[in-house]
This record gives sequence, C-alpha cells and structure tokens, in this order.
Amino acid sequence: MNFLLLGVNHRTAPVEVRERMNIAESDLGLAVSDLVHRAGILEGMILSTCNRVEVVVNAQDQVDAQPILRGFLADFHHCDLSAYEKYLYWHRQHEVVHHLFRVASSLDSMLVGEPQILGQMKRAHAIAREAGGLDGLLDEVLMHAFTVAKRVRNETAIGSAAVSVSYAAAELAKKIFGPLAGKTVFVIGAGKMSELAAKHLMRSGVSSILVTNRTHERAVELARAFHGTAIPYRELLDHLAKADIVLSSTSAPHFVVTKEQVEKLLAARRHRPMFFVDIAVPRDIDPAVNELDNAFVYDIDDLEQVVDANKKQREREAVWAEEIVQQEVQKMMKRLATREVAPTIRALEDRLNRIRELELERHRGRLNTLTPEQREALDALTKGIVNKILHGPITELKSGAGGPEHGHLVRLIRRMFGVGD
Amino acid sequence: MFSVFLWLALILYALGILRTVPSVIRRRPALSPGALVALGLGLLAHAVAIAIETAELHRLPVIDVRSALSFFSFLVTAAFFFVYLRYRVVALGLFMLPLVFVFTLISAVQPERTSADPAFRGGWLLVHIASVFLGYTAFLLTFVAAVMYLFQERELKSKKPRSFYYRLPSLELCDELYSRSLMAGLPFLTLGILTGFVRASRTWEGPWELDPKILASMVTWVIYLVLFSTRLSGLWRGRRSAYVAVFGFAAMMVTFLGVSFLSGPHGLKPELGPRP
Repeated sequence: MNFLLLGVNHRTAPVEVRERMNIAESDLGLAVSDLVHRAGILEGMILSTCNRVEVVVNAQDQVDAQPILRGFLADFHHCDLSAYEKYLYWHRQHEVVHHLFRVASSLDSMLVGEPQILGQMKRAHAIAREAGGLDGLLDEVLMHAFTVAKRVRNETAIGSAAVSVSYAAAELAKKIFGPLAGKTVFVIGAGKMSELAAKHLMRSGVSSILVTNRTHERAVELARAFHGTAIPYRELLDHLAKADIVLSSTSAPHFVVTKEQVEKLLAARRHRPMFFVDIAVPRDIDPAVNELDNAFVYDIDDLEQVVDANKKQREREAVWAEEIVQQEVQKMMKRLATREVAPTIRALEDRLNRIRELELERHRGRLNTLTPEQREALDALTKGIVNKILHGPITELKSGAGGPEHGHLVRLIRRMFGVGD
Repeated sequence: MFSVFLWLALILYALGILRTVPSVIRRRPALSPGALVALGLGLLAHAVAIAIETAELHRLPVIDVRSALSFFSFLVTAAFFFVYLRYRVVALGLFMLPLVFVFTLISAVQPERTSADPAFRGGWLLVHIASVFLGYTAFLLTFVAAVMYLFQERELKSKKPRSFYYRLPSLELCDELYSRSLMAGLPFLTLGILTGFVRASRTWEGPWELDPKILASMVTWVIYLVLFSTRLSGLWRGRRSAYVAVFGFAAMMVTFLGVSFLSGPHGLKPELGPRP
C-alpha cells in the first residue's frame, strides 16, 4: 500500500489557480488512463470540481510517486508546476484515507454538510473505474469512503440545518406548520428575491401559491411560473386570510400589513397560525404583528440570525462527524494492513512447511521402521514446532498492522525467514 | 412476587431513559432500538406485576397510593409507546419517561397497605376506575404536548433558535398531540365521573356529593371542558390554551393525589375502609 494525494482546494488556492488545474469531466477518463499507465502507478483517481482538484494514486511499494504526479499534472496542463507549488498540498498513506473520508463526508467542503460533493466523488470514482484505474486497495478505500459519508449523514445532523436565507424561511415554516403539503403561500411583491424564496417553499412541499403585485402583469407572470393564482393588488386583504405563509418584498415605504389587520385575519382563520417572511427593506410587515398569538414575523435580519445559529449547529455536528471519521480511518487502516500481511503470512507458512516436508523426506530412510502411530506422532511433532515458531512473527505482523513501523517490520521478517518479495 | 416484577420494571425503565438521553441531545431522528427494547420489556414486566395483583385481589389494584401510582405510570408508558410509534417524536421520551420513573419508584418503595375488602369490587367501580385513569393518562399527554408547544413557541417568537428549536417537533405536531389527547381524555373522564356517581349513589350514604375528591374532580372536569370547547371552536389556540392546560394538569394532579389524602372513603387510604 503506497497512497499519495496531490491537490488544490478553495482554502489553499484562489479560483484562477483552481481553474488552471481543473480537468473537465469529458477529459477525465483519458487523464486517469494516462495516469495509471505511468511506470510505478498501480491505481489512480482524479476529482475535479469548482472547489477542488485532487489526484490520488496507489503506487508500487518503495516507489516515490511525487515526481510522477507532478509530471502528470505538468504534462496534462502543459505548464510548469513550480509556479503553483505554494498552492499544492500533499497527503501520504493513512492521511490519504483520512482525507478521502473527510472530503466524501463534506467535512472539507466550503460549506460543511453540503450534499453535492458525495455525488461528484462517486462520478469521479465511476469514471476512474471505467478507465481501468481502480482495481485494488484504492478502490476499496473509495468504496468505504462512500459508506462513511452515509454513516456521517445518518448519525449526525451535519447537513440538516438551513444555511441560506431562503432555506431558513422554509425550515422555519416547517417548524411552525409541520409538513407544508396543503399549505398556501401568498407572495406580496413579485420581485427576484421573493421568486427565489417562493421557489424554495414550493420545493419544500407548499401546494398553492397566490401572487400579488402593484403592477398586475408581473404577478401574473410569477403566478404562471409556479402554477398559482394572481390576485389584483387592491384585493390583497380579501384573500390574505387564505395564506398560511406570507412572503413579502415590495418597495413600499410604509407597512403593507398592520397589526390590526392581522388580528382580524387570525380571527377569520380561527387562529390557525400565520408565518410572515418579510424580506423587504424598508419592512413591509409591522413588527408589532409578532406580538400577536399565533403570528410569527421574521425580517431579513431575523433570518440571518437563524442561519448563523444553524451554522453553529453544523459546526457542533461536524465535531461528532470528525470523530466518526477517525474511527472509520482506524478500522480501514487495520483492514488494509491485515490484507497486506496476508500474503506474507501465507509465504511464511509455505516456507516453513516446505522445510518441514523436505527434512521429513530426507530422513525417510531412517524412519521407515516406525509404526503408523509413530509416524503420525512425528508428523504432529514437526507441525507443532513449525506453528510455534511461526506464532511469534505472525502475531507481530497482525498486531502491528496500521502502525508507522509496520512496513519495515514486514520487510525484516521476510528477510529473516528468507521469503522473497 | 408483585414487588419483584415492579422493581424489574423500574430498572428497565431506568435503562431505557438513560439510552434516550443521548438520542435527544444528539438530535437523532429516532430513539435507539436499545432504548425501545428496554422500555418495552419494562412495560411487560410492569404489566405482569399489575396482572398478578389483579388476580390476587379480583379487582384493579388502584386504591392505595402504591398501586394507583403504579397503574398510572404503566398507562403512561403504554401511551408513550403508542404516541411514539405513531408520531416518532424523540423528545417525548425526555418529557414523559422521567415522570414514569419517579412514580414507579415511589410505588415500589411504598409499603403494601392495600385492602382485600370485597366492598372494593364490582362492575361499575371497574369502569369508573379504568375510565378515570385513562382520562388522566390522556391529560398527561395534553400537558406534555402543551409544554413542548410552549417551549417551541417561545423560541420561534424570540427568533433566536436555541436547543429546543432543534429538538422539539413542529408547533403543528405539538398542537395535534394536544388536541387529540384532549379529545380522548374528556370523554374518558366524563364516563369515569358518571359511573362514579352511579356507584356512589348506590353504596354510600350521606352527602357523597360533598366528598372532596368528587368536588375536586368536578373542578378539573370543568377546566378540561373549557379547554376542549375553546380548542374545538378555535377560540383559544396556541399559547393561551397551552397555559390553561398546564393549570388544568395541576388541578388534575391535585384531584388524583392531593385530595386523596383528605378524602376518607374515596381516598388512597383503604385501611380506613369505606364508610357505610
């Protein structure tokens, strides 16, 4: 096992550098093919997104893959890599496993908990596999990275709290109304901002939408886009009681909805709650409305506050997630190392058993006077000696698995027992 | 024998509660299977304990403090399972189960002081007791739902999401639990009170209407009737209703436990015996 990873990401390099290093998806297959055909490289994968470009390989033992990777990137991009040295980062051996697990779990992303990176990694993995670049340990590590990402998503709330204002509005609506199916949103002021927020609400399950705007044509346009109904502006209050969620972003300098009006609306709705999302500046909804029972008013600052609180929650969840990743890295390293020592253990067993058999064969002449029971006993005796001799080195091989000195240990034992590489 | 099973139930409940806490703190979407198994086995053990006593006494074991609390906490645990399996509200465990544990604990450490007097048997009495306890259980759920609603509502109003915001269900769900348990509880309590009247008028002499427990339960009943009708009509909804529900629950507990220590024939001191 000889892992090496080279990369740039949004933390180490500005967007121009990342652009320069980017490898388009259409070129990815050929690039991987090129990479793994280089002498010394067993497996490889390339991940290229707008926020990171990473090349990871599993090289032959004892091979220093650094110059190979440098050469690959320089060749592919027809550039001199020395200009970009300060933007590159390297990971080796178990750091590679750790890094891959973190990236897949979105812990290394610009927005921790974002869901896209896993899909991007899976695509890169599929392309590398198709190009014949993944058929061994690196493939196993990547497959496990996807499992770890799923575990992180299931066992932590890392991806669940909304971190944009529109998502926050939808999340709050769900905290008030539960599932949004069957609920109605009323959009007052058909501008760009309300369109975005309305889109998120519709995507979160809101079933019907009413739109009103000073200029009626704009309302009709927006209503059509969402399969909703346009209401003439002067009829606003007549229909407002139907709304569970009110999304307001007009350019009116005064309040569009006042406390007294909402009091009447709530009574008409038999006090079913109303949620006002006021993204206008100056504000459209009188903040005093929030004082009413069953009415909730959030302006743009309030929504930002929720987003901040959610971000802190995500950070807290990220701590749990890092712990999970650590556990999984340890498990993976043990598994890889055990896999690595299996051929060595087998080779040791074969060698000592051959010695045993050869010696028995050599002394056969003097042993043919033995009874069958005695021959059996001799067999068992020699086997016992071999097993007891092997016990020590095998235990060391298995227990040292994953440790930093382990490679040396394996080579030493092979040398000592005369087992070839 | 009864005690053994009760203590077993208590230990299993404790285990279950301990396994519930991390699920709530860590915002897991569901309770761990370990917690559910522990609680389920506890419920089973509890059921066995009650069944044993019922068989011995030929009536529901509810007339002394120990049995009443035990029976009540058994029903509450059963209700918890019923509601959790239907609605998957993880935080519910945190609100309901500690109460179960405390009541079961009190019950387990109480000395046995019940009465095998056959005066405490009978059909009407059985219906009366069962209905009243089912009503109490439903109203406990109402109380829990009201409390969750109040916590969640406060955080939503303050616009500063803190720990409850992330761990409590939506206002809508709290309200649904609230109104449904209210709708279930009032008929039970009404049936319980009416059957109680029938039983009392048959077996008691004197002004049984002035018995403290009966008076207290009338007050409780009126409070819940008000809650029921105002919620149904939508006149009171949300915070106001929830506050009154808290008050109603206090009245209920007074009726259930408090007054019992005053009321002679009706109280939880069967050694005093029913006054003819």
